[in-house]
Amino acid sequence: MHHRNLTALLTFATLAFAGTSFSATAPADAIKYRKAVMSAMAAHTNAFSLINFGRVEHQDHLRAHVEALAAMGTEVKVLFPAGTDTGNTDALPLIWQEQEKFGQLVTAAEKSTAELRDAVVAGDKAATMKAFKAVGEACKGCHDRYRKEKK
Amino acid sequence: MVARPGLRAESRLFTALLLWLIAASCLAASAASEQIERGRYLVHAGGCISCHTADRPDAIPLAGGRRLETPFGIFYAPNLRPDRKTGTGGWTDRDFDAALRQGRAPDGSLYYPVFPYPAYAGMSDRDVSAIAAYLRSLTPVHNPVPPHELPWYLRWRQVMLGWNLLWFDPQPFQADQRRDAEWNRGAYLVRHLGHCGECHTPRNVLGARDHSRELAGNPDGPDNENIPGIRQDREGGIGQWTIDDILLFLEVGMLPDGDFAGSSMSEVIDDNTSQLTAADRRAIAVYLQSLAPLHSP
Repeated sequence: MHHRNLTALLTFATLAFAGTSFSATAPADAIKYRKAVMSAMAAHTNAFSLINFGRVEHQDHLRAHVEALAAMGTEVKVLFPAGTDTGNTDALPLIWQEQEKFGQLVTAAEKSTAELRDAVVAGDKAATMKAFKAVGEACKGCHDRYRKEKK
Repeated sequence: MVARPGLRAESRLFTALLLWLIAASCLAASAASEQIERGRYLVHAGGCISCHTADRPDAIPLAGGRRLETPFGIFYAPNLRPDRKTGTGGWTDRDFDAALRQGRAPDGSLYYPVFPYPAYAGMSDRDVSAIAAYLRSLTPVHNPVPPHELPWYLRWRQVMLGWNLLWFDPQPFQADQRRDAEWNRGAYLVRHLGHCGECHTPRNVLGARDHSRELAGNPDGPDNENIPGIRQDREGGIGQWTIDDILLFLEVGMLPDGDFAGSSMSEVIDDNTSQLTAADRRAIAVYLQSLAPLHSP
């Protein structure tokens, strides 16, 4: 009897725990994921620029990096759920205070990565350079307003 | 028909004279427009736009009004457009020279060193005149700017006489003969026109730049930013950056790890370094790469 109660309690606790972990992501993990995607974007941008500006060979990799960048560009909009404004993050609360403006800037960034991909696919060097600058502007625009710079 | 050589020669002479006059005035006009164009370039290279344009999307460039928060108070950058009442209307070349290289307004009052005249002091005569010509060519805009908000002991501008006596040593730029033209161009752009040290060099308690730590980083930079060093340190500097890293950063703002920084430097990149010729960006990079490691805690 005593044992059965304990087993039931444990089962209930396990199920309850599993239930919560399926229904909601811990904010700390959401922040971790956001940082992982942002770092991946920076890494692909870096790799892309090394090839694009002729500092390394690997022309055949160019497409993979820009496709990854464009794909991740579409992910950014869901990386800032409510409740992820505090904790181990440099994201400023302003993001959640002006969701509309933030959304517009994120959409602009998404569009600029897509345009960069299109320019690379078309093999248009001048358009690629122009689009790369635009991607940079989009990144800077958001970081300037919504990211705490390292102090 | 009888030829009339006298008249012919006369009319030839007249035509030649007319052509010469037209050519001379065209040359003068093109020299003037060339100077204005050079001035436009220098106003970007000198970073005038960033401070003298209000921080609003619809702000008129160079019409002033930007609020600058410093440890010494709040300054409002003046209007540089040639409006007689609120700007630089009616300023002579001498007025511009005194302002840029001596920190003195046409009425004799002194500027505060939030305006980088200590760096501009090394600017060449030719560049000062070109900047003056460009600013005069702009459309005047009437834009009164709020007075600075300063502590009582700084409100009296002539207090800067003492500051200038202590810290201001105007010297024209001297090219280093042991270095090549590219390095010297870089030194001129970094130390004088571009005044990089205004943010990247730490300041003493009276706000004068600490020349012994030039470009070694400033933990108490403008807008409370920690401004990194740009000498050759591997930590706290740009010692790990290649020349191409520097060039790409100055052109598009990408850091060597692929990140794009926000902060006040992104504005400097947009208004200043991205507008430079590739040769000038390279000169800056070459000069920076020649600086021995040294960084501020």
